[in-house]
Amino acid sequence: MKILTTVKKVVDVELNIHVENGAILEKGLQYVINAWDENGVEAAVQLKESHKAETTLVSLGSGDNTDIIRKCYAMGIDNAIHIDDPALEKADSPTFARVLQKVYEAGEYDLVITGKQAQDTDAGQAGIMLAEFLNIPCVSNVIKIQVTDDANIQVSRLGDAGTEVVDVTLPAVITVSDSINEPRLPAMRGIMMAKKKKINVMDLAGLGTSFAEVGGTAPKSEIVEFLPTEKRKGGQKFEGDPAEITAKVVDLLVNEAKVL
Amino acid sequence: MSPLFMTLLLVVGLGIFARTMYQRILLLTALEPADRFNRIKDRLKNLVVIAIGQKRLVGRKKERASGIMHALIFWGFCILLIRSITLYGEGYVHGFQLPLLGESSILGYLYIALKDIMEGVVLIMVIWAFYRRLVVKPPRLHNTWEAYLVLGMIGVLMISDLLYDGARFNLIAFHGNPGNLHYFNNPTFGHEFIWTPVTILAGNVISGFSTVGMERVMGLMFWIHIITQLTFLNILPLGKHFHVITSLPNVFLKSLDYPHDKIKLLDLEDESVWEEETLGVNHLYQLNWKQGLDLYTCTECGRCKEVCPTYVTDKPLNLHDFNDTLKAELYANADNLIQRAKLAKTLTGDAEADAKTKEKMAVFKPEKALVGEVIALDTLWACTTCRACEQVCPVTIEQVPRIIAMRQGQTLMQGEYPQELNTAFKGLERNGNPWGIGYDKRADWAEGLDVKLMADHPEAEYLLWVGCAGSFDDRTQKVSKALVKILKAADVDFAILGTEEKCTGDFARRAGNEMMYQMMATENIEVLNGYNVKKIIAACPHCLNTLRHDYPQLGGHYEVFHHSDFINQLIAGGKIRVKKSLAGTLTYHDPCYLGRYNEIYDAPRSVLNTLASQGLNELPRHGTESFCCGAGGGRMWMEETIGTRINVERSREIVAEKAETVAVGCPFCLTMIEDGMKELNKDEEIKTRDIAELVAEHLA
Amino acid sequence: MTNILVVADIKQGELKGSTAELLSKARALGADTAVVAVGSQVKDLAPQLAAAGSDTQYIVDDPALEIFSAKPFSEAVVKAAGEFNADMVWFGFSETGKAAAPRVAVQLEAACATEIIDVTIDGDTVQIIRPAIANKVQQKVKVNASKLVAVVRAGAFEADPEVTGKENVITLDPPEKDTAARVKELISDASGEIDLTDADIVVSVGRGAKDQTGVDMVKALADDLAAGFGSSRAMVDAGLMAHNKQVGQTGKIVAPSLYIAVGISGAIQHLAGMNGSKVILAVNKDPEAPIFNVADFGIVGDLFDVVPLLKEEIKKIRA
Repeated sequence: MKILTTVKKVVDVELNIHVENGAILEKGLQYVINAWDENGVEAAVQLKESHKAETTLVSLGSGDNTDIIRKCYAMGIDNAIHIDDPALEKADSPTFARVLQKVYEAGEYDLVITGKQAQDTDAGQAGIMLAEFLNIPCVSNVIKIQVTDDANIQVSRLGDAGTEVVDVTLPAVITVSDSINEPRLPAMRGIMMAKKKKINVMDLAGLGTSFAEVGGTAPKSEIVEFLPTEKRKGGQKFEGDPAEITAKVVDLLVNEAKVL
Repeated sequence: MSPLFMTLLLVVGLGIFARTMYQRILLLTALEPADRFNRIKDRLKNLVVIAIGQKRLVGRKKERASGIMHALIFWGFCILLIRSITLYGEGYVHGFQLPLLGESSILGYLYIALKDIMEGVVLIMVIWAFYRRLVVKPPRLHNTWEAYLVLGMIGVLMISDLLYDGARFNLIAFHGNPGNLHYFNNPTFGHEFIWTPVTILAGNVISGFSTVGMERVMGLMFWIHIITQLTFLNILPLGKHFHVITSLPNVFLKSLDYPHDKIKLLDLEDESVWEEETLGVNHLYQLNWKQGLDLYTCTECGRCKEVCPTYVTDKPLNLHDFNDTLKAELYANADNLIQRAKLAKTLTGDAEADAKTKEKMAVFKPEKALVGEVIALDTLWACTTCRACEQVCPVTIEQVPRIIAMRQGQTLMQGEYPQELNTAFKGLERNGNPWGIGYDKRADWAEGLDVKLMADHPEAEYLLWVGCAGSFDDRTQKVSKALVKILKAADVDFAILGTEEKCTGDFARRAGNEMMYQMMATENIEVLNGYNVKKIIAACPHCLNTLRHDYPQLGGHYEVFHHSDFINQLIAGGKIRVKKSLAGTLTYHDPCYLGRYNEIYDAPRSVLNTLASQGLNELPRHGTESFCCGAGGGRMWMEETIGTRINVERSREIVAEKAETVAVGCPFCLTMIEDGMKELNKDEEIKTRDIAELVAEHLA
Repeated sequence: MTNILVVADIKQGELKGSTAELLSKARALGADTAVVAVGSQVKDLAPQLAAAGSDTQYIVDDPALEIFSAKPFSEAVVKAAGEFNADMVWFGFSETGKAAAPRVAVQLEAACATEIIDVTIDGDTVQIIRPAIANKVQQKVKVNASKLVAVVRAGAFEADPEVTGKENVITLDPPEKDTAARVKELISDASGEIDLTDADIVVSVGRGAKDQTGVDMVKALADDLAAGFGSSRAMVDAGLMAHNKQVGQTGKIVAPSLYIAVGISGAIQHLAGMNGSKVILAVNKDPEAPIFNVADFGIVGDLFDVVPLLKEEIKKIRA
């Protein structure tokens, strides 16, 4: 079985993000591996261990992704491709999916595993769109993968009504939830040894395509500007008659926060 | 007496002994190198004070009685060694005397008097030791047949020598000295036996024999003594009584770094170390020879486990078993290790030739994995690195550096470390703090306090090192704020690094993650040196210890003060004035990294004494004997699922002392003890406060 | 004129409130509205769907649609969109929506946006607003394609009680089964415990609950809310909660829509495991407890008084 798994480098969500004049202030930001992709890598490595799968990682985006790719190597990934092209900085989900399609077609994979969404956009579209473009099945929000035979897997996904169990014929795309596994801790040794492993870096031309071909020049939507999120109303704390304040808080939860 | 028989005994006895020792020393030389032959003067001082002076045996109040017992046996033995030489001489020369200690000198007389009394004293101590082991049974003692055998042999040595002398005295005094036995007789100092009351007593006990009987007793006792002594010598290296031979060298060769051998600064850039698993201690042969000697020397006295916070809370780490297991493994693999070391010496540095040698060396790898099979993972990770064990060890065995080196192997090479640590490591890597909170919020606590940033005020005299807890933890932020209030009241010219500060890397290093530590340390040192920082005030003993003892290895040299020390100086110098108005019973919990690691015991006490209207009440375990809160050595970031909780054990002690306020000087201790008090439902009655908070509240 | 097709949000045969919210918004934008209901035995929902504000109801009713399957579900929506000539297709905030929207968008060659909180139509220009980076910023996105498929974030729009539509039921042929991804079974939530990390609401209990009685009381609140039930470390240490229920630095890290901390003081070790939650409600008798620093809503009071009241209030709104 050949598995393709994707990783994206995203802004660290632990940091305060400042927006000025419609743009995110880059100063002080740092970038880390997308947490859901880490689950995807772990899922791929587990399949490698249990079913001798060959795992290839692809990372899209411009800039140096060596650090996160090395970590994935240390986790057990066999090969890594980095599509490093400045044009991708402004790409939307369908464009990313088209690039992934090119990578997929160049490698003939049986299974694609992606995180269910990226922490920076929270869009959750690229994986599903990739499957649509390839016209292969896709199951999203997966929490369990079992290999049935060479051509079939069984996955469980979290749906609205509960856990849905789905038999999937390969090739297929699955997007994974963070409850699928606990990503392993790569030993420092693995990370250091990964320094020797090659990362296949190429731009879109190297992949045999262009930004226009993957739809990048005519995006279906584009971000016009960023807005700061309204600051959390610094905690409303209520003291007094328990019955009264409890009723008040429940009302706020229902009508203001809208979480009940 | 009989030169032939004596020669035979000596050849056999010393021959076997020499062979055993050769094997033992050969095994040590097969281990990794360690430089322990510098600063001879300091080493001699340790030898005299700790080994010969028996400092840690008689110096501890709690163990004073048994300490004195051991010291008397030890000193008695030293004195009797000289006597033994005389006896061996007697085997060849009738009336053999040592130069200077013969009958012509007062020294000779003083010596026999001393020897006589010490034999009696040692005998009484042996009887007491038997009584302790059989009747009193202190829990720390590990009762083995070996202990009784050795005690018995010591008893036999004393009795045989006393009876030999007693019989000799009887023959000379009451039987007309038939064999023309030699004895001291100097016109000035008199007859030998005037000086030996115990001998005379022994003589009395056997006074009933006839002349022939008495001669036989004397001969018999002589040979029993010689044979027992040679047997004793050969038994020593086989078990825990090897310490009789090794403890003096072990103390002499002990690390002179304070507080123990510094954690090795590993070269992580060298690729071969990663390939060959030479970082940390992954295999038996990666122990250094001094660590091997430590294992030889462990006496299994159990002092280490008795003070160990993990052992008393039922965790699997039992230090004397730890040592014993490693020692057994060392002996079991002795031949392999020696063969391997021989091959290692033939390594040329030429990759091709070495590859073959390395292949051969691999054959001699011990079968069992050092960690995981010989030493269980739970055992290795239980240690809080509190150093209580090292502080009490009479023979200066260094447990903590060995444990950390073994953790390095696990963290760096095997990736086998408690899962929970990963969150903390990840937080460190990304945001420079173990919680992983955005680094950009590091200075948020200081908002509105008018605290200058180093970036705006680089000429500040002092850098206030806030630490992660002081920056991010809601509870510890109050300590940071209190400290700022004090420094401002004293007009101290200080600044903080703000978002430029990162975790010092203390817990990462002690959890064996040297890579993460070096990442933190080099970045911090770059910032600190960039501002040309000279003096640092730290409110966290872990930060203090790392800045003070670890950073110099990487080129960071600073004068670092703990805030309690600094506040003490401010009070003493009249820079701040405090009211002696802290009411209620006050006690103080010594943080391990402040006390045992940095010997700061007095400053916090002096500060607290100026505040407390009723003075300071000491806990039963205080000062060098303080009991860990359970958070050191990375334990703060791991689950404590085995046994009972260390912080609760400590909190119980505080509760039992009826304290109303317990002062601490460490954010980890603050959290752990406060949690312990909550666990015991005592958090309302007993307040856990940092020294800075107490001072800030009582500023005049 | 814009045609907006709303995909009915149906859970276990019941129409969820989000459908009316989306339809109200669509009408407020001056759009023609239709709704598509896909599922098994959904045709009876037509009057409700009309009442919720739709003027046309596309019904795709087939026993085979009992359990959600992304491909046929999406095909049904695409077919309805074609019939209606929809400019926009809106999904309510659900796993169904998240799974189907990208497929529908590809099929319709539309732009796709998830978790939107606002949409504006100004002549030919359609713009949406959606949060990103864990809700730390918002993106204003311009739609270039002629069509838009969107998943609307929960609570973004309000249902207008005045709004109503008319019944105009159009039944569509059911789609074919997906032969490549075959849905085998549905394991309903009710059968098992709710996993902490998956739960949309998490209720955690802390030392304030004192003993088993307290824990049981808080657990009952969690059950009422169908929430995950967690705890602080203290309760695990005290043996009142299982280790796998611990939320915090060394335990589970959760980020639900609503986190209710009951009797938890909020030590940093605990906060590290839950401060990613969207809304935090804290109940604690100590007004100085650090949990209130991160809580959006705080009730200062004894949990033994407050929890029963909370249960009562929740029962009222759920009724």
